[in-house]
Amino acid sequence: MKTILIFLIAAASLFPQVKADDVKQFTLKNGMKIFVLEDNSIPNANMYLFYKVGSRNEHIGITGISHFFEHMMFNGAKKYGPKEFDRVMEANGGSNNAYTSENITAYTNWFPSSSMEVIFDLEADRIANLNFDPKMIESERGVILSERSTGLENSPLEELWQTVQATAFVAHSYMWPVIGWESDIRNWTKEDLENYFHTYYAPNNCIVVISGDVKLDEVKRLAEKYFEPISAGPKPRAIHTIEPEQLGEKKVFVKREVPSPYVMITYHVPQTGSEDYYALNLLNSILSAGASSRLYSSLVEKKQLAIEVGTYYPEAFDPTLLYFYGICNDGVLGTQLINAIIEETDKIIKEGITEAELQKVKNQKLMEFFQTTETINGMSNTIGTYELFFNDYKKLFTAPEDYKKVTAEDIQRVAAKYLTKQNRTIGILNTEEEQ
Amino acid sequence: MKKIKFILTLVTILSSFTAGQFRLPDYEIFKMKNGLTVYLMEKKDVPLISISMVFGGGAVKDGKISGLASFTAEALKFGTAAYSKTQIDSLFNFYGSDLNTYATLDYSGLTTQLMKENFSKLFPVIKEVVLNPTFPADEIEKRKQRWIAELEQAKESPRAVIQSYFNKLIFGNEVYANPLNGTKAGVAAINQKIIKEFYQMNYSPESSAISIVGDFNTSSMKSELEKYFNQWRSSGPQTSEDFTIIQKPFDKARVYLINKENAFETTFLIGGLGITMSNEDQVQIDVINTILGGRFTSWLNDELRVNAGLTYGARSRFASYRFAGTFYISSFTATKNTEAALDLAVKTYNRLFEKGIDDATLRSAKNYVKGQFPPDYETSSALARFLTQKFIYGLDDSYINEFEKKVDQLDVSKANEIINKYFPKENLQFTLIGKSDEIRKIAQKYGELIERNIDDDGF
Repeated sequence: MKTILIFLIAAASLFPQVKADDVKQFTLKNGMKIFVLEDNSIPNANMYLFYKVGSRNEHIGITGISHFFEHMMFNGAKKYGPKEFDRVMEANGGSNNAYTSENITAYTNWFPSSSMEVIFDLEADRIANLNFDPKMIESERGVILSERSTGLENSPLEELWQTVQATAFVAHSYMWPVIGWESDIRNWTKEDLENYFHTYYAPNNCIVVISGDVKLDEVKRLAEKYFEPISAGPKPRAIHTIEPEQLGEKKVFVKREVPSPYVMITYHVPQTGSEDYYALNLLNSILSAGASSRLYSSLVEKKQLAIEVGTYYPEAFDPTLLYFYGICNDGVLGTQLINAIIEETDKIIKEGITEAELQKVKNQKLMEFFQTTETINGMSNTIGTYELFFNDYKKLFTAPEDYKKVTAEDIQRVAAKYLTKQNRTIGILNTEEEQ
Repeated sequence: MKKIKFILTLVTILSSFTAGQFRLPDYEIFKMKNGLTVYLMEKKDVPLISISMVFGGGAVKDGKISGLASFTAEALKFGTAAYSKTQIDSLFNFYGSDLNTYATLDYSGLTTQLMKENFSKLFPVIKEVVLNPTFPADEIEKRKQRWIAELEQAKESPRAVIQSYFNKLIFGNEVYANPLNGTKAGVAAINQKIIKEFYQMNYSPESSAISIVGDFNTSSMKSELEKYFNQWRSSGPQTSEDFTIIQKPFDKARVYLINKENAFETTFLIGGLGITMSNEDQVQIDVINTILGGRFTSWLNDELRVNAGLTYGARSRFASYRFAGTFYISSFTATKNTEAALDLAVKTYNRLFEKGIDDATLRSAKNYVKGQFPPDYETSSALARFLTQKFIYGLDDSYINEFEKKVDQLDVSKANEIINKYFPKENLQFTLIGKSDEIRKIAQKYGELIERNIDDDGF
């Protein structure tokens, strides 16, 4: 399942509420990095564990296995057998979830802080001694097939998305959906899972963030007791594939019965933290954040060509895609909406953006920051995201300076550099192909 | 994703609680001279201010124009005496905010969250939107056309529309069957005059409330309210406040089968009548529902998902309104597994009546609802929403402050009493969206069949 990670910006000077120094950090002997933020506004805490493994680490034949693995982490280990992880956690007032993206797998636990030791015990058991019960593998296969199918049943956009992604990439593993292809889901084996566990689920490939009504010393004591004895693993092999430059526009059509067409356009863009990242991120907001954004105000409100438009720039370790998507208004052709979107991006390339627009998106980022810092879950997720994608959680606190440097000209420049015909993939989903 | 986040609660304001440690923070409540009820709560951990307003009329007041309450709520933002639609959108976005207006079945509302420093720039716009909307005809026509296209697209997602079909099955001709977003025919009939009439009848200070929670000073906030909202007067005759819904138990089991020709799954709800928002036992009912279908290890999810691998998720909930309510089990499965999933759902549900609840399970569920409660009230927006819901549903603070006590008072014998009193046992009502030709025979097994095509307007 694709999960959009929360993105935010902040400056220590601007926001006395949370400072870089409030986040404490230590590393266990096995290489596991742990971050702690004390916040006693509610008598609860959380524990987020981020593993540097996602569908980008897969290969053809085992697509979707990262996500399948995410599910298997709940199906029994040594001390706590099948079903016990959830039963024990819930009986102690806790709940949990998890998500997998192209890049990472995250496990999230939310609990009254009085139950923290149980949570450590449960996590340590499954990291050290996960067990693969063949019966659980088979029933979980059914669950995943249902998860995949219900996504497609309820969303034509998801169907188009999968096809466009698979068309835009020719070499990199970002080409397949996180959920995987159906035939792979039906056929991966217990051995595939075991290999995956031993390759990626070592403490040195994981970072942990704990926020809430906790004390650093207590977290340290429990981390040393439960997590430190788990042996480190070999460093996983790096992903070396580089997507070659796209040499011309690609077009793809998906047939599905719908009341009006769905469209998608993608462009290859650099990864999170790269030189053009901040300008591209602001461009993404200018295009689609809020009712006054370029695409919404023009294509939905003014021209009435679409009932929905959006853009998406995912966090990514490797060069990724900037996605544009939309649902046509009644009677509008897919190509009409595609052309109108391109017209809007061409306008930015030609005329640039206004200073007011630039200020607006910077204000929107500031708002996102405050909203994130209001909850302990927002903080844990964001600290983890920055540590993973920027290699330093402190970047979270210098980001405003990084954003401040972005000028209107930078945004025009990155639009011109990346939103080109050659770099573009276009997808239309409709009942019949347009003539 | 491991699972769709479980909706534990009857409504958002009620889930679980660790009392003694967590209480509703202090707030002030007063009525302005014009009758507007005001809640003010200071909360200064982040420099934000959340505003929630509620207005008396929801979709139960739609009358013959299906979708009118929802459309009117959105049309508040189409323009005012002082601001055009574009100006409203641009102002809020420029300061990093969004202005949201919406309707529910019982009431309509407005929410936003502002950076403290921008409050004085945006609060006057909120006043304009609420007090002086002009409902420009050209904006109405544009939106109507898109709205109708959206209603068609919504049916591409069975899970987005199944509750409207289920409410139709349960409530028949009563107003709680009104679909929130309306029907194509209803929306097509909307015009400026009808919207203005609905606004005059349902938006007045006497039947509205505003809550403001966040980083401000109460006394200066009072002057802001005086300055902007004191001038609000009712603009026409008001609709009567109360009405009664008679909910008779069903005398036969029925199956509402909705044909979606290209479906490869069956999406289903199974249930019956529920409880109203003001039911005195709802905290304890919620604990029982947690065991049945309100958390990952619940009986329904354990059987249908974990043991059988038939679905990605199965759950149950009470959807409660002011004068009525429903209870339903919900899940989905591949078309070929329809019978297995329905049988297992019903069999698992019947365990409630046949075996009841044991002490260990009850203890676990009580811990769970208490442990998961405080994060529900962590943000200023959540607290602002709670305060306005108090107003609409006539709740008091004991909902939060005595939550733990009520949970703790639940023992096995009371739990089993509650099951027999509130969970519908006989004549279950089914709604299925799927490929009718492939599941009709199965559907007939469960009750009297009523069939409909998903492409037909309405529900």
